[in-house]
Amino acid sequence: MKRGKAVLITFLVTFFFGVFFLMPVGDVLKQAFIDQEGQFSIAYLWVVFSNPIYLEGLWNAFALGVMSTIVTFFIALPLALVSYRWAFPGKKWLTVLILAPLVLPPFVGAVGVRHMLGVEGALNAWLIDLGFMSAAAPTDWLGAGKFWGIVLMNALHLYPILYINILAALGNLDPAMEQAAQNLGASPWTRFKRITMPLCMPGIFAGAAIVFIWSFTELGVPLVFDYTRVAPVQIFDGIKDLSSNPIPYALVAVMLAVSVLVYAVSKVILGRNKLGFSTKPKANLQERKLKGLQGGLISFGFAFVFIVATIPHFGVFFLSVSSDWYGTIFPESLTLQHYGEGLGHPLVLGSIKNSLLYASGATFLDVILGVAIAWVIVRSKMWGRNVLDALMMLPLAVPGLVLAFGYLSMSENGGPFSFLIGANGSPALLLIVAYAVRRLPFVVRAAVAGLQQSNVELEEAAMSMGASPSRAFWRVGLPLIGTSLIAGAILAFAFAMLEVSDSLILAQQAEHYPITKAIYALLSTLGNGHEIASALGVWAMIFLGVALVGAFALVGKRGGNLFRF
Amino acid sequence: MKKFWNKRIGVILALVLAAVSPLILQRPEVISRSGADEVLVVITPHNETIRSEFTEAFNSYWQKKTGKKVYVDWRTPGGTSEIRLVLDSKFANANGGGVGIDVFFGGGDYIFEKMANLGRFEKLDVFSSHENWFTGDLAIPQNYTGESYFSKEKYWVGVCLSQFGICYNVDNLERLQIDPPKTWDDLSDPKYFGSIAMADPTKSGSIARAFEMLVQQKIHKSLAETRRQAGETEEMRRQRAIGYGWANGLNLIQKIAANARYFTDAATKVPHDVSQGDAAAGMCIDFYGRAYNEKLKKADGSSRLQWIAPEGGTSLCADPVAVFKGAPNSKLAQGFVEFLLSDEGQGLWNKRVGSEAGPSRRALRRLPIRPSVYTPQNLADFTDPEVKPYAAPPQFIYQPEVTGPVFGALRYIIKSMCIDAHHELQAAWVALVKYDMPEMTMTRFHDVSYVSYVKAMGEIRQKLNSGNQVESAREAKRMTGIFRRNYKEVVGLAKEEATKQ
Repeated sequence: MKRGKAVLITFLVTFFFGVFFLMPVGDVLKQAFIDQEGQFSIAYLWVVFSNPIYLEGLWNAFALGVMSTIVTFFIALPLALVSYRWAFPGKKWLTVLILAPLVLPPFVGAVGVRHMLGVEGALNAWLIDLGFMSAAAPTDWLGAGKFWGIVLMNALHLYPILYINILAALGNLDPAMEQAAQNLGASPWTRFKRITMPLCMPGIFAGAAIVFIWSFTELGVPLVFDYTRVAPVQIFDGIKDLSSNPIPYALVAVMLAVSVLVYAVSKVILGRNKLGFSTKPKANLQERKLKGLQGGLISFGFAFVFIVATIPHFGVFFLSVSSDWYGTIFPESLTLQHYGEGLGHPLVLGSIKNSLLYASGATFLDVILGVAIAWVIVRSKMWGRNVLDALMMLPLAVPGLVLAFGYLSMSENGGPFSFLIGANGSPALLLIVAYAVRRLPFVVRAAVAGLQQSNVELEEAAMSMGASPSRAFWRVGLPLIGTSLIAGAILAFAFAMLEVSDSLILAQQAEHYPITKAIYALLSTLGNGHEIASALGVWAMIFLGVALVGAFALVGKRGGNLFRF
Repeated sequence: MKKFWNKRIGVILALVLAAVSPLILQRPEVISRSGADEVLVVITPHNETIRSEFTEAFNSYWQKKTGKKVYVDWRTPGGTSEIRLVLDSKFANANGGGVGIDVFFGGGDYIFEKMANLGRFEKLDVFSSHENWFTGDLAIPQNYTGESYFSKEKYWVGVCLSQFGICYNVDNLERLQIDPPKTWDDLSDPKYFGSIAMADPTKSGSIARAFEMLVQQKIHKSLAETRRQAGETEEMRRQRAIGYGWANGLNLIQKIAANARYFTDAATKVPHDVSQGDAAAGMCIDFYGRAYNEKLKKADGSSRLQWIAPEGGTSLCADPVAVFKGAPNSKLAQGFVEFLLSDEGQGLWNKRVGSEAGPSRRALRRLPIRPSVYTPQNLADFTDPEVKPYAAPPQFIYQPEVTGPVFGALRYIIKSMCIDAHHELQAAWVALVKYDMPEMTMTRFHDVSYVSYVKAMGEIRQKLNSGNQVESAREAKRMTGIFRRNYKEVVGLAKEEATKQ
């Protein structure tokens, strides 16, 4: 492609990112670097680095990030490989079901976990029933779990991100490569180590980078376990402190720097593509049918991951149909009353329409931006494209509240973003942009992985046959990365539907609430707020599930190996 | 394959049906924005039940009065902390004008006083239009149990009362073999280790006030018990007693915090966790305690969640309302404040569902602020007629001059001593319990000399009040460091002392 065009695209995406991400975040974080006299100062930063409590918090967050990524990897990789290679009983349903963590609604998810794993929760009731636990001394799983509990919960929530990315990468592999290795006498392990893994590395890296930064900056799960000496919780507590001091913002700056650093280092170490790229497979790998015990074992493995990963979902569901649920495996008596009250609430219907509008708008924007940015990063020779690459991870690392308040302050009357607020105060555009920025890394990572795997020579061939560079990209380059792009878009959509902080802060009027804010609003109903919110949460899970399955069905065969449904 | 398709379509149809269910179940709004004559914009941390009941009640009040329908546009960015951040951001960009919000409703007097000092509120009309509510025997007191009920400059006024107390789970206590708590002191029993749910004083003025009352109570006791020593003047005795009481108060907080599972600012988290048995007891605001107690009531009238106001150690704080400067509809906003203090508005807080001028769906279980509404007729309709905030004289007279000046410092001290150093505090406590509370180590554990009353009133307060944020952060770090070191040493000392014995 012409250099001029590359410069233009780079300029446009950098401009968008600069204006809609760096500016609002910078606006909030500047208070970490400006002292009370208005002078630049690193005194706050120094307070962070000299306070052992904060250092410990940073270290714990880092350790959580690393361990969560490793455990996630060991869940996602086998699942992806198995589903790529073999057909086993119930595969069609199981491969969809294990994506369930993608649809866990916020707020009530945590409540659901507590009802399942709490002292008087379902798990303990079951263990007491079986005689494995004494009713007089039930285990306090959440109180005792702390670090490893968080790692496990993170991994069980985040493995679909890695799974989808690896699956997309596997789908781009040419089975001929492995077959060639097999013909040359390579053992399955050697083939996996020398061919499959290195070729999938872009996908693995894409997923793992997101998982690491996500769990490094995760706030909700540590809060469920009441684990407070970890940086994201310290930031959250600090921002909400009545004394409004700037230390938490300095801590945010440190976390951002660590995120970028870890990302850059791991990219240098892991991100290199040692084998170059494979050509687009001419045929998909023929799945081998597993029957009998082997197939059964694999199905069991998938079902097991599904069941463990959906503990919170079951918690939310049972809570939504319970009149009281305490010290028993299942709720004492069932009722549908909460559904009537929750789903019938005047807020709900509008919030569904809003969420759909916001999330699909954001996904659309993300796909366009993601492709453009990925193209700059992978295909162009622009100076500084690696910096752009690392910057693209930042939206995941910035605490939701920080970005939300950045947007809020910039969209107030006369602010630079006030043009995004509609005449009737509608924050639709603002929320679309906010969601898009926050979920951009999913699409960028997926598109980068796709481009890295696809062969640029195919585009060059098209051009040598007379196609213009843009035509070559649209007709050849883009279709080749279709699978990866869909993977990224699905993740972006699902997580945009469930976005919390932007929704709470920026959707101010009831008629503009997205579904997450409606759940939050109902949660505070006196008496059965948790149950009503759970009913809405269950509904959101079903709805999002239907939307995702619908997307798979639409993508169908073109999704390649991603979802052979 | 064909068969599979059919099955799949069946499942998908069922899911789609579920997905459209809100369409079928939808209830219309009481009054929509387009169907209303006027719009009132209210920012609030109040819960959904309060919001919907007040929307309805205010509408019928206002329609009767003016014939106009009002759409109440509730703004709910979260709790008080988020509201403060939103307002700060909005006012920073307001260029001296309004922020498009009429009313601030609920959140505790601390934040209202802060906002009033920043000049963000309009004076309230009710003080002149209904002078009788503020004068005479049955007037709303300006000050009661140590709390302000309206601003002296008339920028805000409390509309209902609430009180921090202890909620506990009957089953958990039975299992842990603990008697139901009656005072804050009871929560320091080490049997509670890891099962007390605490409210976070750094994020809410009213929670911080509850801690202040706990310290005041200890000071009060110490003042009554401390005798004058030879050569001591009365003033010297008083200062010594206050210092001693202050240290006792902090020590009690240390022990309760050592038992704590967490410190939270989410109001419903504590009663919910206690009701689910994840915590045995917790610090909880009255109406949530009552609501959960009611919700979990069985046929025989028993409930696993109980709420009590601890003896001697709690104040009744006001939940205020105020009108913003530059409010888009200032007249309506003042009308809303008037409604909140009217007989109708006041009754709504505690009347039973279905009673005259009572709530339509759910009882709010809160206490109206106007003493004059506690009439026998009204009490007959109240959900909690036995709670009469003005009937019994306060158990002790709050002395604002004693702890008022260190209110901010106390929050800082608790943060450093208990919240930031929580891991070490817990480890020290475990060691102390293990070795049967050896006396000398216990003294070390309770060493709060670095944050003594004299120091808190002097240098700590000065540093915090100086407004130098770097200096306050350093001071906080120093304090935390000292407590952490102390707690770490306690672990070793406990063992040493026990083996010596």
